[in-house]
Amino acid sequence: MNGTLLLQTLVDGLILGGIFSLSAVGFSLIFGVLGVVNLAHGIFILGGAYLGLALKAALGLDPLAAIPIVFVVVSVIGAALHQTLVSAAVRRGSLMTSLLITFGISLIVRDILILIFGPDIHSLASVWLLNTFHVGGVVVDGARATALIASLALLGLLSLVLYRMKVGRAIRATAQQSFAAGLCGVDAGRVHTLTFGVSAGFAGASGIVIGMINPFSPFDDAYWTLNAFVTVVLGGVGSPVGALLGGLLLGEISTLSSQYIGSRYPNVFIFGALFLMLIVRPNGLLGNAYKGSV
Amino acid sequence: MAGISRRSALGAMGASIIGSAALGIRRASAQSGGVIYFGGSLGMSGRYAETGLNIRHGYETAIKFLNEEMGGVEIGGKTYRFELAIVDDASDPARATALIQRQIDKDMSFFLGSYGSNIVLPCAGITEAAGKLTVQVGASADQIFQQGYRNIFGFFPRASRAWATSVEFFKSLEPKPKKVSIIATNDAFSKLNTQAAAAGCTGIGLEVLDLLQLPEQVSDASSALATIRARTPDILITTTVDQNSLVIVRQMIATDTNVPLLYQFLGPQLPAYRESLGSKATGVIMQLPWDSRLAFSDPIFRDSKSYVAYYNKNNSRPLSYHTVGASACITTYVEAMRKAGSLDPAKVRAALAATDITTAFGPVKFSPEGDGDPILMGAKIGQVQNGEVQVVFPTEVKTANLIYPTSNWSTK
Repeated sequence: MNGTLLLQTLVDGLILGGIFSLSAVGFSLIFGVLGVVNLAHGIFILGGAYLGLALKAALGLDPLAAIPIVFVVVSVIGAALHQTLVSAAVRRGSLMTSLLITFGISLIVRDILILIFGPDIHSLASVWLLNTFHVGGVVVDGARATALIASLALLGLLSLVLYRMKVGRAIRATAQQSFAAGLCGVDAGRVHTLTFGVSAGFAGASGIVIGMINPFSPFDDAYWTLNAFVTVVLGGVGSPVGALLGGLLLGEISTLSSQYIGSRYPNVFIFGALFLMLIVRPNGLLGNAYKGSV
Repeated sequence: MAGISRRSALGAMGASIIGSAALGIRRASAQSGGVIYFGGSLGMSGRYAETGLNIRHGYETAIKFLNEEMGGVEIGGKTYRFELAIVDDASDPARATALIQRQIDKDMSFFLGSYGSNIVLPCAGITEAAGKLTVQVGASADQIFQQGYRNIFGFFPRASRAWATSVEFFKSLEPKPKKVSIIATNDAFSKLNTQAAAAGCTGIGLEVLDLLQLPEQVSDASSALATIRARTPDILITTTVDQNSLVIVRQMIATDTNVPLLYQFLGPQLPAYRESLGSKATGVIMQLPWDSRLAFSDPIFRDSKSYVAYYNKNNSRPLSYHTVGASACITTYVEAMRKAGSLDPAKVRAALAATDITTAFGPVKFSPEGDGDPILMGAKIGQVQNGEVQVVFPTEVKTANLIYPTSNWSTK
């Protein structure tokens, strides 16, 4: 086995995994705190990418600089959707209702994106992307390395909010025991709305990162929702570290299987790992961050 | 951006309503009553929507010209106007076949094609069984033309014959290339083209170094590109669709994966591709089914220059080869109807089979099996140079000299 090629494959997997992690963290948080499988996750990601595109076209704003604006706008939209549509499904406690509601949201938002931007392929470019560099015989893709750095920064920020700030404590308390948190003065409904909004915001921000490395069209949402689902099952529910681990694992499985077994069917190995994890450790590598592992 | 897109998307969303309305009207006024309806489905949403909308714009442009500029067309002593009754199949074969069957049940006789061989092939089975005609510019899989169907006509040579010009182009290169690698995706279109490309390259003595296959939707090509860097070919061919081609080339740039010649079957034809890559796109080679600088006469629009002017005056969506081809589908139909002097599908079919005309798209002549004549309707070879597509082969029609070998990404 060629050592440089192996190292190259591992580096490629690491970088790809970082992007998967960021794209999945919002999904993970909603799943962990609200118990909702958010099928609108992919469309929030694309919404962020398209918002970045619009801001660049209208104001000339660099996509990386647009991340805070995208985060806020998509958060507000996410919170509003939760308040008006998703919360009713959550209150009924029916998984099927929340699936249908979020799937419906994704279809509607997709059509809105088509209406505004058309079905054509778009991509984002940033002047702040790193140049490609070589370490020994290994080539590090500058654009993807920039995306990885942005991913790690955003995941770090979320960890800070969840584990060092009052609002994070409220989110974790609500996820662990909603009734008890309520007795301590936490408004569970508001926390759910806040969590949904923040998660949507992270999805939107990851859309910017993804749009800088891959072209996108309004029909790509299912791909990113599915990747987020696999990442969360592999890494564990509810925590940024779980999403990071799951994403990295997914990235490495994808690149190693493509390089050494065959690049035609990486999904076979990705879903093979998913099945294996569901059998051996159903709550993922780190378990449920709030409710313990089984 | 918003203006163009909103208009296009509104058209896409309204398509099924318009189509349904047209079908409804058709019931009230018989075909001989002065209006000829063109039926069919088209992916105006879903994964093929971008090309689907390009095709739709071509159909609409021809219909508008026939009705508004010519006041209709005389066929067998009567003047007919035309209506488009295309419905959105959402790029879904199952939906497309159901919609086509519904139109056949309403006695539609003349069909235009959808986009994608996986959609056109099953629809062709239905129209063939009903004895209805189809002219299409969106599918070239060999299977469509190997079923013994008599009623489907395609504007492209079948996939296995579509590489004839490209292989001649590879043969003409100096310095002579020796090795070629191919990146494909796991779908029928890419596989068919890969087989044809590999067979053509082997036939002229090129060594096929690697045949790398990626999933149908590509988000990461790092493993394939690591192989390309380790075993660099003289020519790298990608037989992928537009979005996947863009993923691959962007990752090639980012990982400094250089080859003397990059040939992307689909992708560089799109303005979005060239805008996305900027100066880095220079040197990328593609098949070029049509170029606006090639002058052709046209029985409806007079010539290709007039067609382009008329299209640009009435549309904000950039003109693509699919758009011109779609307009030429209608031109070909109308010329066949004129020649037949009748709307009898059997007579129109015979006239279509004997078609030998020139349109804004170029010459139109079908093989006995119904696909485009591989010589007359075969693609030219284009190369991106300074953001524009130039014809570089065959040399008799070239608009610029070929750049080969191309420079490294870092110096572009």
